Amino acid sequence: MRTSILAAWAVAATAVALPAQADKLDDIIASGTLRCAVVLDFPPMGSRDAQNNPIGFDVDYCSDLAAALGVTAEVVETTFPERIPALMSGSVDVAVASTSDTLERAKTVGFTIPYYSFENAVVANEKVEMSNWEGMKGKVVGATAGTYEAIWLEGKVKEWGEGEFRPYQNQADVFLALSQGQLDATVSTVEVAEANVKSGNFPGIKIVDKAPMVPDYVALITLREEYGLINYMNLFINQQVRTGRYAELYKKWVGEGEPADLTVKGVYR
Amino acid sequence: MFDTALTANDLIFLAKGAGMTLIVTGISVLLGTILGILFGVFRYQVGPWWAAPLTFVLDIFRSIPLLIQLVLANAFVTTVLGFRISGFTVACGVLSLYTSAYCAEIVRGGIESVPTTLRRAARSLGMTWGQDMRSIVLPLATRVALPSWIGLALGVMKDSALVFIVQVVELLKSTQILITRLQEPLFLLMICGLFYFVISFPVARLGGYLERRWSND
Amino acid sequence: MFNYNFRWAQALNSLPQMLEGALVTMEIAILSMAVGIVVAIFLTVFRLSGQRVLAAVATIWVEVARNTPALFQIYMVHFGLGSFGIHLSPYLSLLIGITFNNAGYLAENFRGALKAIPDTQTRAARSLGMSAGQAFANVVMPQMLRISFLPMTNQMVWAILMTSLGAVVAMNTDLYGVTSDLNARTFRTFELFAIAAVIFYLITKAITLAARLLAARLFRY
Repeated sequence: MRTSILAAWAVAATAVALPAQADKLDDIIASGTLRCAVVLDFPPMGSRDAQNNPIGFDVDYCSDLAAALGVTAEVVETTFPERIPALMSGSVDVAVASTSDTLERAKTVGFTIPYYSFENAVVANEKVEMSNWEGMKGKVVGATAGTYEAIWLEGKVKEWGEGEFRPYQNQADVFLALSQGQLDATVSTVEVAEANVKSGNFPGIKIVDKAPMVPDYVALITLREEYGLINYMNLFINQQVRTGRYAELYKKWVGEGEPADLTVKGVYR
Repeated sequence: MFDTALTANDLIFLAKGAGMTLIVTGISVLLGTILGILFGVFRYQVGPWWAAPLTFVLDIFRSIPLLIQLVLANAFVTTVLGFRISGFTVACGVLSLYTSAYCAEIVRGGIESVPTTLRRAARSLGMTWGQDMRSIVLPLATRVALPSWIGLALGVMKDSALVFIVQVVELLKSTQILITRLQEPLFLLMICGLFYFVISFPVARLGGYLERRWSND
Repeated sequence: MFNYNFRWAQALNSLPQMLEGALVTMEIAILSMAVGIVVAIFLTVFRLSGQRVLAAVATIWVEVARNTPALFQIYMVHFGLGSFGIHLSPYLSLLIGITFNNAGYLAENFRGALKAIPDTQTRAARSLGMSAGQAFANVVMPQMLRISFLPMTNQMVWAILMTSLGAVVAMNTDLYGVTSDLNARTFRTFELFAIAAVIFYLITKAITLAARLLAARLFRY
């Protein structure tokens, strides 16, 4: 008798200690808020309007995802180096932050299928003589620490064996340094480079050349083990394209023209 | 002198950042001081041998950069342990402990500055330990400790500029956000620096004044 | 809870790089201290000189260094001066920023120390035929430095801790910069920064110990 009571208590205790495993997808729906990490010094993907409210392609994309989930969107600004630590620390649920789907990162976080694809351009200070991307050889170049383009650029500087690479902590500082002439050149996505040149915010910079890099596919990210959420977001990205919302956002933030193709020919996802 | 695109809206945005700096500082100085007094009195009471573990732990807060403390605490609590707490909580927690580590030293120094003979005299008059602490040590130690404590509080305010690393948007981060949009780095940085200066300078002067006045008695 | 997988081996692979960074950190701290002490002596002399302009420059330096965040000062050296077309490398920006801060705090320490040195000594030195400069350099300054030795040790520890702020100006060869760079690549935040914390702890302890030994040798009475 006594043992069975004890056993019953033990069972009850385990039941309390181990509630049915709710995954992040459930958590988000239950909490009513989707917290997205977005990088806001990366126009047109993310920036701030005159009232300092977040705007941009990524901000809208986060809102769309929240709307699909039936929750409210909360944009948490992070810099490029901070976005994965912010995700890991649980201060955001997902990052809609133009995150390149590198294999190194995939060891830590879970990627969806690509939701956008960039080409990269070499942007230089006007005072610097540079006719193509190889002109960066021997110059002082920089990019945001840890980004796809930073890793490529730092690799190139090492390969050339001359010049200097500087990793700044955010994208704004890179363009500020470039505009001030502290950097001779940087590599940035074509969209961002064009937006920054056009805005007139950074006088004295010019786009020199396309960077000879593999197209930069960017994806949404969440924790590596959250398959439920990753599956959901994969379908969401697919739906964004098939409903025409992707093209609509492209037109709104990037401009006229054909939005980037999100498939890679000759291979499955 | 400056041709600026800064609007009233942006000033409110900066003011919010400044408010965050003051809130984080206020909470950390308050909690840190309470903890610091507890730690300081404990260390003095039990003697160096028994206090060694506490001394060691507090010393760590003074021997590694605050930036690393913040990153490490944030990673440990949220990523390793898996608790869901905000960057604001982490920032206040770390800064409080950081403050308490310095405050404990100040408190200990203050208590030690009270001559033992005076305290023995108080006890021999029949005062309890509590009475001695309250009526003899507290007033005398405060005179020695307060100027350093003011310096510490201001130090914490300046160090709170580092909490941006755990996604808390305080004054310096707000300034950077505006620089991103407006591209007037020099002007905006001057406003930011001026704010710190306007708060810190008079209070630091007050500390210096108290130190001079009290050391002359 | 606790489903975190530590990957210490991966992080420890980077130890040699981090130790190299530690050397750069020490180099910057020592240089910034050496230059800082010299500048602080000048600031102290300026403040004593009675020369209005020099005294004002010294006072502004000291008050700005002491009343604004070090992070702000370093950022200002890089991007603030950058607005005027003065371009400093991340290394120099960090070094100058910390030196600026050191000099300000040390000058204030020196001023406190001077109060402990009686005026009569200067007068005695002058009556022996020394010039004002000689009296300061030979009689007052050695005592001032001796009295300020403990605050100088503290400032040295501060200088080590302040090197961690270099990342905001793209500094990536010091201990914090190396760690932060590795973290931006591998995201083993806890492991990497824990190792960095231990190294920083050992450096500051080594410095405090060295200062104590040095004091014992220098100040034998």
